[in-house]
Amino acid sequence: MNKRRWAPFKFLLIPVILYGIWVIAPIFYTIFLSFTQWDGLTAPTFIGLGNYVDLFNDPIFYTALFNNIKWLLIYVLVPLPLGLAFAMFFNRSLPGVKIFKTAIYLPLTLSFVVLAQIWTWIYQPKYGAINVTLEAIGLGNLTVAWLSNSDIVTYALVVVGCWPQTAYTMVLFLAGLQNVPTEVMEAAKVDGANRWQRFWKVILPLLKPATIIAVAVTIIQSLRMFAIVNVMTRGGPFRSSEVLANYMYVEGFKNYSMGYASALAVILFLIILLFVSVYLYQIFKTEVEY
Amino acid sequence: MKKLSSTFIISILVISVILGSSLAVLAADKKVVINSYMADPAPKKTLKQLVDRFEEEHPDYEVTINTYPHEDYKTLIRTWLPSKKASPDIVTWFAGERANTFVDKDLIMPLDDIWGEGNSFEDYFPKAFKSISQFEGETYFLPQSWYWYGFWYRESVFDKLNLNEPVTWKQFLGVCEKLKENGYTPISIGSKFRWTAAAWFDYFDLRLNGADFHMKLMKGEVKYTNPKVEDVFEKWKELIDKGYFLENHTSYSWQEGAKFLFNKEAGMYLMGQFIQDVVSDEKVKKDLNFFRFPIIDASVPIAEETPTDGYMIPKNAPHPEAAKEFMHFLATEQSQRFFADKLGRIAANKNIETSQYDPMVQKGIRMINRSDKVTQFYDRDTKPAMADKAMDQIVKFMVKPGQIDQILQAMEAQRKKVFE
Repeated sequence: MNKRRWAPFKFLLIPVILYGIWVIAPIFYTIFLSFTQWDGLTAPTFIGLGNYVDLFNDPIFYTALFNNIKWLLIYVLVPLPLGLAFAMFFNRSLPGVKIFKTAIYLPLTLSFVVLAQIWTWIYQPKYGAINVTLEAIGLGNLTVAWLSNSDIVTYALVVVGCWPQTAYTMVLFLAGLQNVPTEVMEAAKVDGANRWQRFWKVILPLLKPATIIAVAVTIIQSLRMFAIVNVMTRGGPFRSSEVLANYMYVEGFKNYSMGYASALAVILFLIILLFVSVYLYQIFKTEVEY
Repeated sequence: MKKLSSTFIISILVISVILGSSLAVLAADKKVVINSYMADPAPKKTLKQLVDRFEEEHPDYEVTINTYPHEDYKTLIRTWLPSKKASPDIVTWFAGERANTFVDKDLIMPLDDIWGEGNSFEDYFPKAFKSISQFEGETYFLPQSWYWYGFWYRESVFDKLNLNEPVTWKQFLGVCEKLKENGYTPISIGSKFRWTAAAWFDYFDLRLNGADFHMKLMKGEVKYTNPKVEDVFEKWKELIDKGYFLENHTSYSWQEGAKFLFNKEAGMYLMGQFIQDVVSDEKVKKDLNFFRFPIIDASVPIAEETPTDGYMIPKNAPHPEAAKEFMHFLATEQSQRFFADKLGRIAANKNIETSQYDPMVQKGIRMINRSDKVTQFYDRDTKPAMADKAMDQIVKFMVKPGQIDQILQAMEAQRKKVFE
């Protein structure tokens, strides 16, 4: 009997140890490092809150933070509703619907690095697809150096991210729609609810679990965005498209300021925690059973 | 019969295992492990061939090369050097401040006894290389090869417009103007990865303020708000205000910038000798030529950028004696010449006759021989944290030349943070 009671813990032992070593311990180590100055070569020296003081006086930190907020807002406002709209549209059996579904889903199968490389060519100021097309249809005065103009570069990058993100939320919502019982839908129809009412009053509340996941993932994705920025601009020109994750990478692995990079990591960690927990708290507070 | 043969095979196996392991013990001290950033096909192959030659000459040595991509290498080397277990015997690295960073932390072994009986550093390398290889009187860095910077142009374009290689600043401005009048972008640059702009900063500083001031600035001993630094940007601004630089240059990598020169849309490009590596068309390659960055103030001694690559032995190297033997081999005339010839670089070894090089390389050597001082490059002469932030500001200046004051302030703030 006693043996049996311990059995699950024995099975858990190895994964828990591995998780502890590879996930939990590094988090605490990073927090420790954020209070030190460390070049990766000699032993870290403790400097208290020095890194955080520097951080709050660092203009690049604010640029990165502000850009992350831009990513977050656009990610919540564009790919989420768009993904839902696509899901609603494709959640039926029409001829050819699978082809379109696949076409929209396809960018999700590509790695961010590949996407970023393709879009770098599309944005190329002289021979890129966008500017060449604009010239061809007589809108030459609208051409912009998409990745060189410090005022628009971040938006140009967010567009690239929205593409796979829309596909991702679409897949989440499509899965959610499978769980909307047909009886409820039919009952709503019988009761005379029109399409619009059915969507707002029946489908959307039932999609709540999928929505929770979609919003949480979207927030996390937007805040930890790294690959697109790193590949397409490396935060440039002159750091105008910097985001926290890329700045952290540059400080740690290019400038060898591991302590400073750790402080950035801690801040990023706290921001993500804040957004996600506030959001999840709101959700679970108003949890409704159907 | 069958039994006999299997016994035979087994005994052969046993003997070979015993022999093999004892040989391995014998050979253990003669192992050399090289960690290398030469990941591009041509240099990677050349280093391998060099190792093969060494192993032919020294059959009792076993040399292993571990190759890492350039950018990863710069990060990983920081994990190898302090490690007693993971340290290689030899690392490839950059001369000057970049090497000094590790020497300062006591992670590198001095190379005082690799020169052979009665010889010293100076029997192999020009005196000028001492400043980038020796720190506090001891040699730590073995230079292998270097290259020069210059303004690259297409001879056919200059011929067509009847232009000569400019020597003075005034002549240079004349060339720019003529190129512009004829529909060319006078100067190409791809500044997406920033360092191409740093070359401009270096050269204006070298031409206006000289190498001594420049090196003081690189070492953090002079403020960036010094009026002399402002002069650098003011002079540079003349070219920007006249619209001589390629439009939207922050969108392009250095290779993309080079394409504007190769396809005759742009006239000139300030770049290292390795620009020749990226020309695919043989006709274009033959049409390329270069000239020295024009002289602005004739009273300032001429300085040029000559980034130098080479090798070091980590302090924790497990086989230092074998590593030194290989280092000696790398320093010899034959090895240095072999490497340089294959890649169009210039060997560091001074005993190789200039006439043995390709004519273009000879022109480069002549240019350097007629210079008073050499420097490495902005991000090789100053600390990484300084270079990173300053190069942002330098690119920002090229896009927003009106903000010189803020740019100088930002650079000075970083200098304070890094050096004080």
